[in-house]
Amino acid sequence: MSVSSALYNTFFKRNSVFVGTVFAGAFAFGVGFDIGVTKFYDAWNKGKQWKDIRHKYVTEE
Amino acid sequence: MLSRLSAGAFKKAASAGASRSAVNGARSASVRFASTQASGSAALESVLNSRAALATATAVSVGTIAWYTHLYGNLPFLGEAHASHLSDEGLHPQAYPWSHKGVLDTFDHASIRRGYQVYREVCAACHSLDRIAWRNLVGVSHTADEARAMAEEVEYSDGPGSDGEMFQRPGKLADYMPAPYPNEEAARAGNAGAYPPDLSLIIKARHGGADYVFSLLTGYQDPPAGVEIREGMNYNPYFPGGAISMARVLFDGLVEYDDGTPATTSQMAKDVVTFLSWASEPEHDERKKYGIKAVIIFSVLTALSLYVKRFKWGPIKNRKISYNPPADKTH
Amino acid sequence: MATFQAVKKAVALNPTVRTLPSGIPFAPLLNAAVRAPHDPHAHGESGPRSDVAPRWAGGPSLRSSGLVTKTYTSVSPSVNVQQRFISTSAVRKDAPDVPDFSHYRTNPESNRALSYFMVGSLGVISASAAKSSVSEFLQSMAASADVLALAKVEVDLSTIPEGKNVIIKWRGKPVFIRHRTQSEIEEARSSDWKTFRDPQSDEDRVKKPEWLVMLGVCTHLGCVPIGEAGDYGGWFCPCHGSHYDISGRARKGPAPLNLEVPQYEFSEVDEKLVIG
Repeated sequence: MSVSSALYNTFFKRNSVFVGTVFAGAFAFGVGFDIGVTKFYDAWNKGKQWKDIRHKYVTEE
Repeated sequence: MLSRLSAGAFKKAASAGASRSAVNGARSASVRFASTQASGSAALESVLNSRAALATATAVSVGTIAWYTHLYGNLPFLGEAHASHLSDEGLHPQAYPWSHKGVLDTFDHASIRRGYQVYREVCAACHSLDRIAWRNLVGVSHTADEARAMAEEVEYSDGPGSDGEMFQRPGKLADYMPAPYPNEEAARAGNAGAYPPDLSLIIKARHGGADYVFSLLTGYQDPPAGVEIREGMNYNPYFPGGAISMARVLFDGLVEYDDGTPATTSQMAKDVVTFLSWASEPEHDERKKYGIKAVIIFSVLTALSLYVKRFKWGPIKNRKISYNPPADKTH
Repeated sequence: MATFQAVKKAVALNPTVRTLPSGIPFAPLLNAAVRAPHDPHAHGESGPRSDVAPRWAGGPSLRSSGLVTKTYTSVSPSVNVQQRFISTSAVRKDAPDVPDFSHYRTNPESNRALSYFMVGSLGVISASAAKSSVSEFLQSMAASADVLALAKVEVDLSTIPEGKNVIIKWRGKPVFIRHRTQSEIEEARSSDWKTFRDPQSDEDRVKKPEWLVMLGVCTHLGCVPIGEAGDYGGWFCPCHGSHYDISGRARKGPAPLNLEVPQYEFSEVDEKLVIG
């Protein structure tokens, strides 16, 4: 209850704060979701993608 | 008070009264039955039961069948006798467990690299790949330096230069894969009249896709008894018709892979088919990643919309409107 | 006729009070809300009974021959014609029968934060999806990969000797690359550029003093100037006689501006020039 009321008082009470949180959250969510899905995708396809075998063929740098 | 009676009861009473009054006779001048009452549904019913409706439906059906027969030359829903054999369709390829088959699976890029080697050393002698540029290999199967070095081995004609003449120059990353023949006529002339198709989209362009091409490459065999194959043709049960101009090209140990994979026939066929699958769908890996994202996002959105709909409609559905008659104060 | 019969049946002639098979008295047509008038002599709509059967509906009536009771056989109770058993009889309730939707209601008090969280999450994900839709759509208008691959041109500078011009094609336009000698650099830098038609110093026009890179399109009407020609030892446009100096600046003739300098950079490792 205290957590939810703290949440309510912090973010939901004023509409301006609520809308601001939504838009900031959308930006953060977009970035985070992209990173998360990419991480899962790379783990699922471990060893198959070019970035996994690239080191075998790069000679310099 | 009338409103307390349900509509059904009202109707029942009316029709019961009507039929009863018909029996009575003394109270009604004309005899009417419930079924003949002039109402909207009864009118529709009488139209549907009319002879005109029957004739119209018959005419439409006969006309439709006639039109179909005119268009396609045979009656609909009836099988046709063909003077052909199932082998004309080609053997149905088996479904193989490709490394990129699952909805979450990317291509095996090491296999693409080997497949490119097979294409370059074997297939490219006859087949073009004109929708793939050298730059497409970068970041997929080769580094930029490797791709540039491979491109520079090929001479491209460019120009016109400042003197108005075309000139030859080494290839750049932006150039497309060189074709073995300058045009289709040259290709036909070099292959006894058969045109080796461009392989850029061959996996998409054939029924069975990767399974078919793999089966075709590995399916060469001696013709069974009774099957005549003309000179210069080869027997392959997976090819529609069974006789294919292309001879078997993949034999064990034909190429030497730089990662040490044993170059068996099926290994080479698998690698080159993976490479050609990539050539048909270079966007494949990215597409599946977007697919994961879209499915997750839209299922969460659906669940949330259901919750919010319920949240918004709860008060409206729970609203009760009641009427209390005013109490008489004088009693 | 039938309509008349139906109206007649519906308007009247139900027994006002009867007993249900379950033994409960049932008075569906009794208007319990009607009150007796305050003044018994007053006229008004509210009488003790408003549903007295009309005369044509039968019942007792006083005629000249005496009291006559007439009953029409067509009269019947219009609601429950068939016998009802106890198990199927409806329960009589005091309150009007309103469906209960309270299970549907999310408790607004205890779940307030949760409800706002859900609404907010819907907003967050919708906004994110909308943002990527818009940005993907805008990206579809960007140059495609094959165009971008041709947008840059690499030039190997080690093949250009000092004091020589090279013309290469970049995005369909000629690009002049000149490997300038030391005396040419000094000539370009010593001139009094503030008095020129399009004042620009040589330092602003080159990244490395020995390499001059310009678009070979005359700023007058778009001809291609000829190198190592003209009054100022630079370029000369054969169409209308514009003269450019060794830094590509317009000095004489109709050209209003200096020759344009494209975007380029040097890659130090292998002496290459990348235009674009």
